[in-house]
Amino acid sequence: MSYGLALIYGVLKVINLANAGFLMLGAYVTWWMWSTWHVEPLLAPLVIVPLFFGVGFLIEKFLVRRVLGQEPIVSLLLLFGLWLVLQNLAYTLFTGDTRSIETPFIDSSVHLGPIQIAWPRIYVFVAGVLALVALQTLLTRTQLGRAIRAVAQDRDAAKITGIDVDRVMGIAFGLGIALTGFAGSLLSLLFSFNPDFGRTLLLKSFCIIVLGGLDSFVGVAFGALALALAEAFGVRYMAASLQNLISFVVLVVVLVAFPKGIAGMIRSLRRA
Amino acid sequence: MLEIRDLVVGYGDVGVLWECSLHIERGEVVTLLGANGAGKTTLMRAISRIVESSSGTMTLDGIDITKAPSQDVVNAGIAHVPEGRKLWPEMTVEENVLLGAYPKRARAATYETLEEVYALFPRIKERRKQIAGTLSGGEQQMVAIGRGLMSLPELLMLDEPSLGLAPIIVGELFESIRAINARGTTVLLVEQNVMGALQVATRGYVLETGRVVTTGTRAELLASDEIQKAYLGL
Repeated sequence: MSYGLALIYGVLKVINLANAGFLMLGAYVTWWMWSTWHVEPLLAPLVIVPLFFGVGFLIEKFLVRRVLGQEPIVSLLLLFGLWLVLQNLAYTLFTGDTRSIETPFIDSSVHLGPIQIAWPRIYVFVAGVLALVALQTLLTRTQLGRAIRAVAQDRDAAKITGIDVDRVMGIAFGLGIALTGFAGSLLSLLFSFNPDFGRTLLLKSFCIIVLGGLDSFVGVAFGALALALAEAFGVRYMAASLQNLISFVVLVVVLVAFPKGIAGMIRSLRRA
Repeated sequence: MLEIRDLVVGYGDVGVLWECSLHIERGEVVTLLGANGAGKTTLMRAISRIVESSSGTMTLDGIDITKAPSQDVVNAGIAHVPEGRKLWPEMTVEENVLLGAYPKRARAATYETLEEVYALFPRIKERRKQIAGTLSGGEQQMVAIGRGLMSLPELLMLDEPSLGLAPIIVGELFESIRAINARGTTVLLVEQNVMGALQVATRGYVLETGRVVTTGTRAELLASDEIQKAYLGL
């Protein structure tokens, strides 16, 4: 989910507040296919990734593009509004009841010596790493990926080189939404959810991106690791219900101490 | 091949180009001369459709490109090597060059063209894994020209390629421009270095405050009193 947010910000310079909505929908689509058609939840991304890509591409083309050159507040409000629409759509379609997916795989776990790990957690971790590797390969090994980075780094230079900037932005937005839907589908294996699912994760995503820097995907992965460790160690010393507090405290501390993010700080140290 | 008629460009209420007309024939090296702010860069940006023109027409081999999107202009065969080079500083040299082959016309031949570009500029081949932002000015200019050549242009537009480079590098650069032209690519060249530009150019236009004031062959321009006084300091 953080990758999706970073990808969209990097290329379009727009903060996608609707991301949480697509995360929630990714979880619901997985649940809905499982409960109505008995589709194996592990296969749901095969539908979700292309579907969400198409939806993202169209949203960029018909909504986001209209507000791109304007004040940041305009795109923030547009995407915040879109989030509310998605949330209420989910309330209408799926009601506000909490849902969860239960299959034998989801309840299974493995014993490694004294520790017991649930299989779905391992699966989600591996899938997350694979998604990062796939994204990184796309961005560095293909012309389309290079074009996405080129648009992120210098839009005018990309135009002069003959890159169709509008199309690349649509694809980047679509990819961002597809990644978020994928993340939602994965998370539905671990957690129960309702239409408000994703709210705290959205805030955590911001925290991760601030930690890792907005334009580096490896940075995002390290940001995620740092936050996960901070939370895991934090709950040893305080009530678990205060876990979410940690991300906000980290966010504020980092913003005050290193306004360019950790990655930016390292970069400026290297230059100095 | 390129025909520009009465082109007018303005930023807001301020006019930058006033009814500019010029034409470029296949195989030529045409230079645009003029002081800072005369409109040379704007003219190039108008041709590659980064800035909007308010009236006038541009045709490439008879096809109207006055309102075409910028990617179509590149795909029709006009490459623009902009002032200040405009590389993607955080990508490698090779990634920068490879992206030049993004337009459809050049895609199939990407790796053959890459070898040709490396043959023309062996130095950037040596540095292909390096991050573009860490290169020297001369090397960055070679990467920018290489990126332009990757689109297999009929017309290569170079905006101030010698700006900020050491004199010895400038000499090499003009040699490269000659070599590119000798292989059949038409060149439109904007230069502060008027003497250097007039050595490679076959023809030139002089712009003053957005208007074409003089035009002529290399010999005519070199002989003209105005040019000698204003630009060559003779």
